Amino acid sequence: MVALDMTTDTVPGDAAVAQHKMTTRNVNVYYGAKQAIKDVSIDIDMDNVTAFIGPSGCGKSTFLRTLNRMNDTVASARVTGEITLDGEDIYASSMDVVQLRARVGMVFQKPNPFPKSIYDNIAYGPRIHGLATSKADLDVIVESSLRRAGLWDEVKDRLRDSGTALSGGQQQRLCIGRAIAVEPEVILMDEPCSALDPIATAKIEELIHALRGRYAIVIVTHNMQQAARVSQRTAFFHLGDLVEYGVTTDIFTNPREERTKDYITGRYG
Amino acid sequence: MTEPASAIAIATNMERKPTDWSASSKMRQRLASRNRTEKMFQFTGLAAVVLAVFFLAFLLWSMLADGVHGLSWQFLTGTDSSDPETVGIWGALKGSLLTMAVTLGLSFPIGVLTALYLEEFAPRNMWTDIVEVSINNLAAVPSIIFGLLGLAVFLNFMHLPRSAPVVGGLTLALMTMPVIVIAGRNAIKSVPPSIRDAARGIGASPVQVVFHHVLPLALPGIMTGTIIGMARALGETAPLLMIGMRAFIPTPPSSFTEPATVLPVQIFLWSDEISQGFVEKTSAAIIVLLAVLMTMNSIAIILRNRFEQKW
Repeated sequence: MVALDMTTDTVPGDAAVAQHKMTTRNVNVYYGAKQAIKDVSIDIDMDNVTAFIGPSGCGKSTFLRTLNRMNDTVASARVTGEITLDGEDIYASSMDVVQLRARVGMVFQKPNPFPKSIYDNIAYGPRIHGLATSKADLDVIVESSLRRAGLWDEVKDRLRDSGTALSGGQQQRLCIGRAIAVEPEVILMDEPCSALDPIATAKIEELIHALRGRYAIVIVTHNMQQAARVSQRTAFFHLGDLVEYGVTTDIFTNPREERTKDYITGRYG
Repeated sequence: MTEPASAIAIATNMERKPTDWSASSKMRQRLASRNRTEKMFQFTGLAAVVLAVFFLAFLLWSMLADGVHGLSWQFLTGTDSSDPETVGIWGALKGSLLTMAVTLGLSFPIGVLTALYLEEFAPRNMWTDIVEVSINNLAAVPSIIFGLLGLAVFLNFMHLPRSAPVVGGLTLALMTMPVIVIAGRNAIKSVPPSIRDAARGIGASPVQVVFHHVLPLALPGIMTGTIIGMARALGETAPLLMIGMRAFIPTPPSSFTEPATVLPVQIFLWSDEISQGFVEKTSAAIIVLLAVLMTMNSIAIILRNRFEQKW
């Protein structure tokens, strides 16, 4: 089987992947004196959905937020180690954080549409990044983004209505549409279904399936069944450690680590 | 395990009798005394409201009774005069408008930018704490002190024209600015962080986050605070006496640098007149001032109700 070294040859039989979309090497995250993430090395690939699972406070969301430098806004947060996107160090001084976040989009736990129209929610990103040269261009971007977010048929007749008037599940799909409107390469999802009912959750999961391959998707989830359903790679975090990372089916059927097994089988969490 | 765990174990082992809810029980007596307290509080509250409304109504009624006959087209369009028959309020009203224009033009942009910087950009350290405390203190400084400051800085040091709306406006801007900063910061704080995250998450720069999202959402709150601050400045007398806006002005000011007076100072001056005819005119001027103030406050309330975001 595989050695404990999770950095090289991350997953058995995965050697064909020439270059990883994102890599992290020996990443530590501190909030003041408290260490939230300990020496985490992980690779994220384009054609996989990667799930981060683990009990509350294990650092999975913190780690996710280092991948697009959202932790920069937390004054006490400090990150060491190396994180790359297409081989470029994202914490290097030459990396423009605004551009990074256009390339690594994010969907949050609680749906957070702007209190603007559905159209303007989607169009905001393309507008600030100058992705559309004309109004017609922008219309195309809005329609295609809403279609890919699986929301077009529900909202096409009321694009001028406020995004906040939609239901929770629709709002979250609007937020996914808003993220993909700027054509990011990676989409980070921080427990995107935790505020949604099972039907809305199922729709988001379908959507993740549909988006797989076009974007590298990383999803943090509390729900192990969800991780099993949507992801091809799973990373299990516990108390800031990356305990185990591998092919999802292996993690769930044949975990190498005792702690993973205990968590999967519901001994704690 | 630790102490609390064992304490919980003991607590669950303790036996408790079921609560007695029969008619003669202690619980029923307690309920009766609670209901009495409720009634007493409601009555006291109502009495307080009646008292407050009574004095407001009395003030309005006495002003209207004294002053309503003094209101006429000639009064609304005329200027100050030594004869109560021909006296008018327009000069003072125009002086107030010019002064307020200067105050708003200075205190609004400076106040809003200060609030935005302190909330969204400034690092949290000792210096920003000092600035914050200073601004809060500035808002509590008696207005006469601002008058002295205006006299010392704008007249004696900068040699700006005495009695002019520009100096009055500058002085009142100093007074209004901290009010706008405080109202602005509160409005900015009430914009949920998730909106900032959303904008940052799709690659908006910090300035774009602020000007595309935070400021538009905070603006109704900022404007409400601004109008209330302006209403306070409009009713201010003391600091303007210090900078000479108490002169007898028989022609309305036609520019920011010409001598002028303002509504509350005009009321103060007329109330000092010996001639009986000025009693009515003073009340009439108060009616005009109250009408302007109530209009401003109504606008503030309408803005608040109309644009307030529910999160």
